[in-house]
Amino acid sequence: MTATSIEATLFNIQRFSTEDGPGIRTTVFFKACPMRCPWCHNPESIRPEPEVVWHAGRCLGDRGCVDVCPEGALRAEPSGIAIDRSRCRGCGTCVDFCPSAALEIHGHRMGVDDLVETLLKDAAFYAKSGGGVTLSGGEPLLQPKAATAVLRALRERGVHTALDTCGVATENTLKAALQWTDLVLIDIKTVDPERHRAFTGVAFDRVRDAARTMDESGVEVWVRTPIIPGYTADEESVRRVARFVAETFRHCTRHDLLAFSNLCTAKYAQLDRPFALADTPLLDANDMERLCRVARDAGSPHARWSGPTRVADPES
Amino acid sequence: MAIVTQSRRAACWNPSDALSNRILRLRDEYFSFETRPFRNEVMPFTTGTPWDTVYRYASWTIVPEILPFLKAYEDSLCAAARVVPLPNGFWERPLPVRVALFFAEVLAHHLPVDILEGELIVGGQFNSALSLCLTRSEARQRAKAAEAFRMAASDTSNLGLGNCGAVPGHLIPDYPKVLRIGFGGIVEAIRRAQDSEPDPARRDVLESFSIACRAAGALADRYASEAERQALGAAPARAAELREIAAVCRKVPWAPAETFHEALQALWLTHMLVLTSESYPGAGVSFGRIDQYLWPYYQRDVAEGRLTRDDAREFVRCFFIKPNYAYDYQGRVGRHQGINSSFGQLITLAGCGPDGEDRANDLTYLLLDVIEELNLLEPKPNVRLHARTPDRLLTRVCQLLSRAQGAPFLLNFDETSMRGLRWQGLPEVDLWDYAPVGCLENTRQGDDRSGTVDVNLNLAKAVELALFEGCDQASGKQIGPRTPDPRAMRTWPEFEAAFRTQLSFCLRRLVELNNQADTTRARFEPTPYLSALVGGCIEGCRDVTAGGARFSYITVEGVALATAADSLSAVKTLVFEAKRVSMEALLRAVDRNFDGDEFLRQVLLNKAPKYGNDDPEADNMAHNLTHWWAEEAATLETPLTKRRYRGGYLSWNYGIAYAPLTSATPDGRTRGTYLSNGVAAVPGMDRAGPTAAARAVGDLGLEVIPNGASHTISLPPSLVRDTEHVEKLAGFLRGYCVEGGSALQINMIDAATLREAQRNPDEFRNLIIRVTGYNAYFVNLGREIQEEIIAREAPCR
Repeated sequence: MTATSIEATLFNIQRFSTEDGPGIRTTVFFKACPMRCPWCHNPESIRPEPEVVWHAGRCLGDRGCVDVCPEGALRAEPSGIAIDRSRCRGCGTCVDFCPSAALEIHGHRMGVDDLVETLLKDAAFYAKSGGGVTLSGGEPLLQPKAATAVLRALRERGVHTALDTCGVATENTLKAALQWTDLVLIDIKTVDPERHRAFTGVAFDRVRDAARTMDESGVEVWVRTPIIPGYTADEESVRRVARFVAETFRHCTRHDLLAFSNLCTAKYAQLDRPFALADTPLLDANDMERLCRVARDAGSPHARWSGPTRVADPES
Repeated sequence: MAIVTQSRRAACWNPSDALSNRILRLRDEYFSFETRPFRNEVMPFTTGTPWDTVYRYASWTIVPEILPFLKAYEDSLCAAARVVPLPNGFWERPLPVRVALFFAEVLAHHLPVDILEGELIVGGQFNSALSLCLTRSEARQRAKAAEAFRMAASDTSNLGLGNCGAVPGHLIPDYPKVLRIGFGGIVEAIRRAQDSEPDPARRDVLESFSIACRAAGALADRYASEAERQALGAAPARAAELREIAAVCRKVPWAPAETFHEALQALWLTHMLVLTSESYPGAGVSFGRIDQYLWPYYQRDVAEGRLTRDDAREFVRCFFIKPNYAYDYQGRVGRHQGINSSFGQLITLAGCGPDGEDRANDLTYLLLDVIEELNLLEPKPNVRLHARTPDRLLTRVCQLLSRAQGAPFLLNFDETSMRGLRWQGLPEVDLWDYAPVGCLENTRQGDDRSGTVDVNLNLAKAVELALFEGCDQASGKQIGPRTPDPRAMRTWPEFEAAFRTQLSFCLRRLVELNNQADTTRARFEPTPYLSALVGGCIEGCRDVTAGGARFSYITVEGVALATAADSLSAVKTLVFEAKRVSMEALLRAVDRNFDGDEFLRQVLLNKAPKYGNDDPEADNMAHNLTHWWAEEAATLETPLTKRRYRGGYLSWNYGIAYAPLTSATPDGRTRGTYLSNGVAAVPGMDRAGPTAAARAVGDLGLEVIPNGASHTISLPPSLVRDTEHVEKLAGFLRGYCVEGGSALQINMIDAATLREAQRNPDEFRNLIIRVTGYNAYFVNLGREIQEEIIAREAPCR
């Protein structure tokens, strides 16, 4: 199998990424995710198909896009351009047409060779900062051939590789990817089987099995736990996650508690989807400090937290 | 910022609480221009002849905003000037000697001598406007040339083509020589040169240098006497300091400096008199690698127990306050000093040595500490970075950047800088010892005047001329050669050829105009004092204004690179390749300033490749454009002083001045919208992040830009919110060494800027907010969330 024939569906390639692993990185966002977390901050990552969105602030009101759509999926309404998502095939004709970039498409296909070439542009910055490339999403392992080919090609060129995964993958897929992975970022949201299934739509067993496979492979692991009010932002939940981390990972060097963020509200609206947590207030910094201590006390010594909080910095 | 962690957000940059009362008082005094008794305002001195002038137009013609006022400045300074009694036989002497004698008279009897309470380094009044000392016939000849130049310079600037002038400063005098041998030693060297010089005119030039050097010694003596006088009435501790100051001023800068205190005192007095001698408040008169040449004095004093690190700090703090007084030149303008608010007296720190190893030393770190403590504008530090910069230094620099919103430093990158100087033709052997002047303009130290801001070329104007067959769009006036009607063109190469014809015309028009200014200065405005401090002048018996420096170039600074390159890319791709836009429609839209053509303007903004994103199509255009004009500039030379031209990308604030004087452009810019700055992308058009922007700059092929290129980027303060992230900034700078340009400055953006982003979202579309895995463009976020993010930002002063 050559990399040449493989394509990936991505929704973004983020250069100078500083939050997805060590150093300066490029993060590749793979489109499609097996989980359905209600707090997801990248709603455009969830579905496999390309999705068109409309930015009201940029629209000239020309409405030429309505005419060029080969599927008749666009309508000009008093409130703006409405997208009939049952008709839109994501062909991008309207996006090409729109002069002001008011129409944007999330999701494009790219050959692995081209992708790798793009990722290598910042090789000097990776090397000088101890950075590299992070595959994220969505879930990169839903596109296992592409993800593995990218990891391999980068690793063979001496680039540090990180895989940001929700842990939903078959053992073989995971093992194949881990072979070329220097660092795994894995989400452990909750370890309660019922809650896990209720929140994400996926059984925790699958995540647990993946976690064990990772640990056996010896790869360095960073665990990430979203702290979501009404879902995971309680001491018991965090304590159990921390215990699980302590019991499962011998090579975990960092455990990030990520405070709930509502910055994605506008994105949901653009995708014509409800955001269940739109009215949920941000957490308090003191709560995050407390949960962080809980995690450390429960056996996850590398626990730390970040993210937006309700309370401003102490000095402001 | 969107990201708040348990680490405390870096506070705004303020002076340190650890400063001594002495320094706090001196610092406060500097900031209280309105109430303090000492003011270093411009002080004019005249010979008293009715034809005298104390003002030099060509020093200021590169500031378009003040062009209309030059005549008024000249007249009012002359009217306010004090008459200086002239020594016998003054008018019989040749011009350079007269200038030197006048300078000496002023220094010996008229320049006020002020020592401020508590200061350890002295030298107060230096802003001046000195008589040109011309005879009636010389004055008539000069006035004719100067007036013709002023008119032509105004016309050229008002058309938006650019500007030029014979600008003072912008060089690094050979200060280490003064420390090493003193003015006494220099006078001795001049005497030896005179003895072996048969030509009387050349001996006169040397005589003028010698007179000027002796004048500096005389002024130092006056400071010594003043210190002794003040000591009589002072409290014991201060009296002791004043006696020490007196002893130091009796010795230096006439004799060689032996201690750190002497070296700093000699350096300051020598430097401030350069500003006096050129009647110019310091812009670009730079100190060079101060941590290198002051190091022996510091090290010896510390090693021999004469000086503690704390003493040294206090001396350096006193020294650093002094250059800020240049701003008194325009103190009455108030706080909003606008376009003139920068008199870059640079110091250069660290950088490689001949073996490629870094030269940072303990003094380098001490200077960095003082910079952080003082929170002052001058002297402006440039830090030289390169492949072998030690982690300790880079981390310290990044720490300071992070604590000061990026403000204190400009970063200079050795490898790219040296590549340019090599291409320019400077000798390989000591390229490593270069240093920047003014803002970031790379020169040699001590023997190089490269007129680093003398010519400023608006590249975007050449686009306008190519679109309108050589006509100025606003007036319809034919100013460039008549190139073919673009509507008749079928292929890109035809348009490219027309553009290059206009570009060459613009370049040559400015260069020819500048040649006039250079020639007039060379004939009528010698600066003997400065000449004695610039290598090559004594050896060649030639004033620095006459091209006496060992290395003498003039720099053409390209303005609006990205605006011009993006405009060309849009024409190439949308008109000729994709044929999405017709030339007819484009010309009509540009002619109407896109009024009623918003659809087309948006196509130009969004569907053409944009420089600054690591996009080969757009970046190649910028590369080609750079090479077209910069390689041609390098073939041009001044007629009288034989100074070769060289390229640079400083562009200063000209993107503002020439915005209304440049038509709408095919990149989608309307007339009046600011032109791009330095080698940065058009604001808002670099959307692929700082690594892509760095690579775009690197791909310009900056070896043809020996002066160096200004690259400004904005980064969110969250990038440096903790040690881990400060290290990422360090990694970015190391990467920039490999991939980027010659000079970088970083703004860590604040709430006020985010407010601005709300008001002008189009210009801030590239502003990325990151929250652990989540990324978004700030302007794409909902209003409420923007408000919340802004609220989390502590308001900066």
